Amino acid sequence: MSATLALEGVAVSYGKRRALDGVSLSVERGEIVTLLGANGSGKSTALRAISGLVRPARGRIVYEGRDITQAPADAIVAAGITHVPEGREIFPEFTVLENLLVGGHTAARRDVAARVEGAFELFPVLRARRAQLAGTLSGGEQQMLAIGRALMARPRLLLLDEPSLGLAPMLAAEIFRTIRRINEGGVAVLLVEQNARRALRLAARGYVLETGRVAVAGASAALAADPRVRSAYLGLASAAGR
Amino acid sequence: MTTTALVHVVVSGLATGSIYALMAISLVIIYNATRTLNFAQGEMLMISTFVGWSAHEALRLPLPLVLLIAVAAAAALGWLVERLVIRHAIAATHLDVLIITLGLSLVLRAAAGLVWTHDEFPFPSFFRERPIGLGPLRVAPVSLGIIGGSLALMLALAALFRWTRLGRAMRAVAQNQRAARLMGISVERVYSASWVLAAVVGAIAGVLIAPVIFLSSKMGLVAINGFTAAVLGGFGSMPGAVVGGMLLGVLENLAPLWLPAGIKHSVPFLLMIAILVIRPSGVLGRVRQRKV
Repeated sequence: MSATLALEGVAVSYGKRRALDGVSLSVERGEIVTLLGANGSGKSTALRAISGLVRPARGRIVYEGRDITQAPADAIVAAGITHVPEGREIFPEFTVLENLLVGGHTAARRDVAARVEGAFELFPVLRARRAQLAGTLSGGEQQMLAIGRALMARPRLLLLDEPSLGLAPMLAAEIFRTIRRINEGGVAVLLVEQNARRALRLAARGYVLETGRVAVAGASAALAADPRVRSAYLGLASAAGR
Repeated sequence: MTTTALVHVVVSGLATGSIYALMAISLVIIYNATRTLNFAQGEMLMISTFVGWSAHEALRLPLPLVLLIAVAAAAALGWLVERLVIRHAIAATHLDVLIITLGLSLVLRAAAGLVWTHDEFPFPSFFRERPIGLGPLRVAPVSLGIIGGSLALMLALAALFRWTRLGRAMRAVAQNQRAARLMGISVERVYSASWVLAAVVGAIAGVLIAPVIFLSSKMGLVAINGFTAAVLGGFGSMPGAVVGGMLLGVLENLAPLWLPAGIKHSVPFLLMIAILVIRPSGVLGRVRQRKV
């Protein structure tokens, strides 16, 4: 099977601090993969390296057979990868509709209207709030807008950084259901998530990062059963079942 | 003070104010994209107006063509300055870039002196001299022309920012550069476009105002009042730039009616100090909450 995305020994430094130290991972076509790890383990940095926000000092990032390690961020979006950053980073002074339109910056003009309609179908609340300033939305609505906006570029790989952060459990569950729906539409997903249990239920495979390196990798079921993962990320002291 | 005289003063104040507003807008366009204050904005206006004038002198071109040449010269100058100078200072602090643009303004003024001397030249006007009567009121066509031309340009800019992909990209970059990159927007291209657009707005303002204040290497000083207008309206806000410009133009023209005649040129500074004390975010400005 051809990998949609492959990182090969990617290292990233912020000044003297090494945030990623030779990470290799892959996302296969149409797959959901999760990146787990404590704060500061390098999860967000990995996503930023893929989307071109930070430049790797070493290593290669290959997307659909193309080396995108040095590609500028706008070219990476055009190639089919979009990144929903931690904290959503919606444009607060734009309306909901304008946020979606700017998400379609790289799209052909004639496709934009249909994609806006698609986002409204996925998140009906956005249709109701289309003329509202995005800065006035609730946290959950902002997250929906951020995802809807990222889909406007019609990505084949979606990078999601902490989509459930700060959301009430019911809203978080809804976001996760939507991620599954998006994935069923053929979009591969690389998911960074604090809620490891939920992430492992959604993803087929996962990687656990520790201080910028891959500590454990494997199928979700295997990771969920791994004693190290259980104690560190699932909050379970022993093999006691849920 | 009769009403007719007052109307005359206000209308010519609005005309001057329109030019201040255009200068303020051009400063804000660059500031919003790059967080840089362009102190060479006035000198870029001056150079492009001179280029248009030279074409007029050499080839006796009609005025619309002169305007077009000035605009083209401005676009080229804006693009060159951004690509050759500002882009290389992309990692520098705002203060460094500010000093660079200040230096650039001196260089451009000196260069203009070498090419065109430091004399003043009359500039042809689109509008006739003779005042036109509107009932009992008499207004100068040039004032109405400047106001009308400026308003048309402002509407065009508003449409650009609201309805076009480029305009939306520029507003996105102004709000959050990193998020704009994640939308597939080339922030570098937005920088270029902002400098070009600001220079073009400046050139149009230059061609409109040159018949009134004469063409000279010093005419770029008008940008200082554009800066005041932008601060007055709330720096970063386009509607604020328009309101600030108009307010400044009218007050500057009204002040000598009641205050000592020499006060006119102090008005911008007095207003600026007043606004910074009373309402630092400007008339239409909002206090933006910045995330740390």
